[in-house]
Order: sequence, then C-alpha cells, then structure tokens
Amino acid sequence: MAEVLIKTSNIIKDFGQKVKTRVLFGIDLEIQSGEFTSLIGSSGSGKSTLLNIIGALDRPTEGHVVVGGTDLDDLDDDGLAYFRNKTIGFIFQSHFLLPQFTVLENVLIPYLIYAGRTTKDVEKRALELLDMVGLSHRRDNRGNAISGGEQQRVAIARALINNPRAILADEPTGNLDSSNTEKVFSILRDINREYATTFIMVTHDRNLADRTDRILELSDGIIIKDTGTSDCVKSPFHASQLYSFLVK
Amino acid sequence: MKSSLRFEISLARRFLEENKIQTIVIILGISIGVAVMVFLTALIDGLQADLITKTVGNSPHIVISNADSASAKASKSLGENEILLIDTTENNQRPIAEWRSITEALSADSGIKTVLPLVEGSGLITRGQVSRSILLRGFDLEQADLIYDISNSIIAGNQNVSDGAVLLGKELASDLGVTAGDPLQLELSGREPLTVMVDGIFDLGVSAINQRWMVMDQRKASALLGIGDRITSIEIQITNVFEAEQIAREWAVRLPSYNIQSWQESNASLLSALNSQSSSSYTIQFFVLLAVTLGVASVLAISAVQKSKQIGILKAMGIRSSSVARTFMFQGLFLGISGTLFGFVWGLIMSQAFIILAKQGYALLLKPITSTIIALSTILAATLSAYLPARQVSQIDPIEVIRNG
Ligand SMILES: Nc1ncnc2c1ncn2[C@@H]1O[C@H](COP(=O)(O)OP(=O)(O)O)[C@@H](O)[C@H]1O
Ligand SMILES: [Mg+2]
Repeated sequence: MAEVLIKTSNIIKDFGQKVKTRVLFGIDLEIQSGEFTSLIGSSGSGKSTLLNIIGALDRPTEGHVVVGGTDLDDLDDDGLAYFRNKTIGFIFQSHFLLPQFTVLENVLIPYLIYAGRTTKDVEKRALELLDMVGLSHRRDNRGNAISGGEQQRVAIARALINNPRAILADEPTGNLDSSNTEKVFSILRDINREYATTFIMVTHDRNLADRTDRILELSDGIIIKDTGTSDCVKSPFHASQLYSFLVK
Repeated sequence: MKSSLRFEISLARRFLEENKIQTIVIILGISIGVAVMVFLTALIDGLQADLITKTVGNSPHIVISNADSASAKASKSLGENEILLIDTTENNQRPIAEWRSITEALSADSGIKTVLPLVEGSGLITRGQVSRSILLRGFDLEQADLIYDISNSIIAGNQNVSDGAVLLGKELASDLGVTAGDPLQLELSGREPLTVMVDGIFDLGVSAINQRWMVMDQRKASALLGIGDRITSIEIQITNVFEAEQIAREWAVRLPSYNIQSWQESNASLLSALNSQSSSSYTIQFFVLLAVTLGVASVLAISAVQKSKQIGILKAMGIRSSSVARTFMFQGLFLGISGTLFGFVWGLIMSQAFIILAKQGYALLLKPITSTIIALSTILAATLSAYLPARQVSQIDPIEVIRNG
C-alpha cells in the first residue's frame, strides 16, 4: 500500500585507485515511504558507505539509486547537491553545527543555502522545530555554546527545516549518553510519526533497532538480514510512545 | 540578486568575522600597500605636473617657423658617419610673408588659446669691453603678455615697447652693467652696428631667457633685421597642453611647407625623464600588488583549511561547489575593498603630512584616473588571489569530513 521512496538496485562500491577494495556487493533494497528502518552491522561492514550513496553524498561504482522517482545517476554534481538539500536530511554522529552561527541560524542554514534569506514562515517553522527538540530557549546561543546532546537535537531540527522526504542518520546517538540517546531517538520516532518522514538510521544499539519498523543487517557489504517491511499499521508499542510524547 | 549569492556573501562575511585577527592583519597589510601606491603616485604626479607647468606655463606649446631652418637642412644632407654640428645660436629662419592669413587661421582653431607672430634674430650687444650674444625678439607686447606676462615682470624702467622701446633680460643687463636709460651697441648679423637705448629690464624667472632676450616691438625689430613686413615664427599656446602634439600634427598637414614643433618635441629629454619616473612608479605598484596577491592568497588558503569541516557539512547539506568557491572569492573581494578604503585614508593622511612637514614647492596630485586604477587593480588582485584557495576549498569531499568527525 505504501509507495516505495528509495530503491537501490545492485549497488556495488569499490574504494581505492590501484588496489580496489569492494565494500558493497550488489545491494538491492526498497524503502517504503514513511518507514523507519534501522541499519545495523559490525564496524566496517559498509553501513555508512551505503547510507552516503543513498543520500547522494557518494556515487556507487555500479548500480542505481532511485529516490522519489529520480535516478541519482541522471544528476550532475550540482543536481546531487540540490537533491541533498531538498530531499534528504542528514544527521551524523558528530553534530557539525557551524560554531559561530546561533542555534536558530544553524537550523535555517539548509534553507538559506538556496533561498538566501529567511521568510516569516520559515523562521516560524525553525522555532517550531527547535521547540519540538526542546531547545527554543537556546535559539540565540552560539552553536558551540551548548552541550553535545543539545547540539545533536539542533542538528535534527536542521535536518528537518526543508521538509525532506527522508532522513539519513548515521549513528546519531553514537556520542550520547543513555538519557540523551533516549531523548534523541524518541524525537526521531515522533518526527517519523508526525510528518511521515522516512528514516534510515545506522546504529550499534540493538535496543534502539528493535524499536524501529524494520531492521537491515549488513555484513561485509552484503545484507544478511532484513526483518522486512511491516505494514504501516504500527504496533501498540509505537502508539504508546506517541502518546507519551503528546502528554509530555 | 540571485538568492544563493546572498547566502554566499553573508557566509563570506561570517568567515572573515570568525578569523578576526587574520582579517584585520591582512586588511592592514593591503591598506599599507595601497597607501604607499597612493602616496607615491600623488607625489610623482604632483612633481611631474609641477615640472610640466613650469616647462609650458610661460612658454609656447607649439612653434611654427619656416621649414628651411638650419637643423632641417643639416639633417637632410647628413650622410652616414658624419657628425651633426649645428650652431643653434645661428638663426637661419627664413621670413614668413603670408603670416597674417596663417595667424588668422590659427586663431580660428578652438583648441588654440593664443597666437603670437614674432620676429626673431640673433645678434651681439656690446657695452664697453663686454659683449654678449642675444636673441632679438619683436612682437606685440599685449599679445605676448598672454604667454610671457612681460608687463608684470619689468623690474626697472619703461614697460611700453610700442613706442620703440627696448627691453633687456635681467642677467644680460647685469652682465653688461646696464640699467634703464643706458645706451648699447647692437650688431645684428649682416647689418651695420647701431646704438640703442635700454628702456626697461625684465625678469621672466627663467635664466635662459633673462640671459639672452632683447625684446622690442615687432615693427621695430623687422626694421632692424631688414625683413620688411614679414615675421620669422609664430608661437602658440593651446588650451590643453597635452594636445600639443596632436594639434601640431594637424597643422603640419595644413601648412606643409612650415616647420611645426610641439613642446613635447622640444622637451623630449624632460619627457623621457618623466616617463622613466612613471615606469618606476608602475614597478612599485606591480610589486605592491604582487604582495597583496600573495598575502590574500595565503590568508585564504589557511582559512580554507580551518573551515574545511564547516565547508564539508555545508556540502552535505547541499551547497554547490561553485557556491563554496564564490564564498571565498567574495572574501577576497571584501578584503580588497576594505584594504583599498583604509589604504586611501592612510595614503591621504601621509600625503597631507608630507605637504605639511616637507614644505615642498609643489602640491601632491591624486588624479581620479590613477586613484581608480589603484583601487580597481587592488580589488581585482585581492579577488583573483582568492581563486586558488577557492578552488581548493570547493573540492572538499564532505564524506572525508564526516568520516573524520
Ligand atoms: N574513502 C574510503 N577509502 C577507502 N576505504 C574506505 C573509504 N570509506 C570507507 N572505506 C572502507 O570501507 C569499509 C566500510 O566502511 P564504512 O561504510 O564506513 O563502514 P561502517 O559504517 O559500517 O563502519 C571499511 O573497510 C572502510 O575502511
Ligand atoms: Mg560508519
């Protein structure tokens, strides 16, 4: 019933010029719109490489990625940049805020890159997003003047400012303690509910993975496990989570 | 304005603000370079303008004489390996008969300010045991005043030459020990010696003139020289002194049988000295611009390294490589503009200080055209020197940045 947002066919990725090392061995994947997928696997198994290819940060050596009907192979570098800006939101293990910009400005940057200046509407939206991640009181702080957990939540708000179709999160809680991990994950989950944003989240945390719609496991560049696309009627567990967010 | 440009400009500003010290130091560096250029060119241009004013101010800009002069004759007959010997004191000018019509035509030229037909001849004056060679010059004094301002330069005796009076240069008079009212023996080439009275003494402030000129009315001079109602040359002042060569060339076409010389031709060595002065000032400008270029390039190259993490994340968020490059070009542009503005301020302060402290006899001259060239070339150099850092930074791979945290 749900539409396929991301489709990869036979993605192969080699690194190295003289000595080629194959990192991905023909990945075929379909991600449904609105799905919250977790990508697990041991270190070096190719998770980040796959995520970067899906997010148009990197090109596959072979194979195709189609997102929302667009074959990324058809785009030139500027086209890929525009695609990343409009369609994808990235969250990384390190938050990567611009240190000299305020929290609010950091959230607005993906919008500013192409629009040049803000509008009342987008500022309102940025404040709503900051509110959602619980940081509206930090809006005028410098990006480097808030805690790591807070910075990661700002990065989430930033990833959302352009209303992306998909959010790609590479170990977003990797640098966080358990309480911040819980905070960040539940925010991601709520966004997924509220905006039907598609998520692919790389994680080492089995517990978090278990709380997503679908688990993909990579090993040495091959998908060795896929819990499959559950129908988008969510389990009671998720519903109770949404409830707990709403009453907070 | 293209909307992404707006972001590039504001990002460029932010990057410069982030590196406050670097930014201030490089702007200071550029501004010192610009100040040096401004001050030096103002100094050199002022000096040159002063020299040119002195050269052409109270002298003709173009002289028309008969083509068959001694030097023309000599250069025509000069073969290889022969030495050119011209007695420049010898005046071999042939008289011009149709001078009235030529004068009229010249006066009608809108580029020409003053036309002075005159009679000229060389001779010898003697008083007692002392003799001096002189240049006898006869012209309408009122007209000649427009060029030489003789009426206001009389230091002794009568200043009215129309009634046949004779005026003598100051140094000539003191050499001979004569003053107004004294008689002199005058011997013009090919004429009988005669006695004339000195009626007045002038000081034109140029020793070459004060040492040689004897001035009288045109009619009297032609009578003494025995050339009838003819003249020997026409002196011209024009409105814009730098058009002299052009105007001289135009008139050479209309008066082919005459020798027409502009002040630039008669002052070729002065002009070539001025030119080499100018080219040394261009050399200084070139090296200052080179220093600006290297300074900006190195500061931005450092900044490119410092900002690579931010650039990487901006690229992950979709900024185009060309936008990143332009962000750095804009930084170069801003540095160039700020450095230029401050540089002009310093340069003008330096110039003012020089005027006050050095008490030179000439003013500094900052021409709009040279100011524009200095400003534009500095801004251009600063912007272009951002090119390599801009290229380098635009090629940052976001994945590298993300992998290395
Ligand atoms: N740019 C690169 N050049 C060479 N090897 C790379 C590059 N990026 C990743 N690799 C290699 O590819 C493999 C998979 O890396 P990665 O996708 O980052 O794994 P994971 O995210 O699952 O830990 C690793 O062996 C890594 O060393
Ligand atoms: Mg990884």
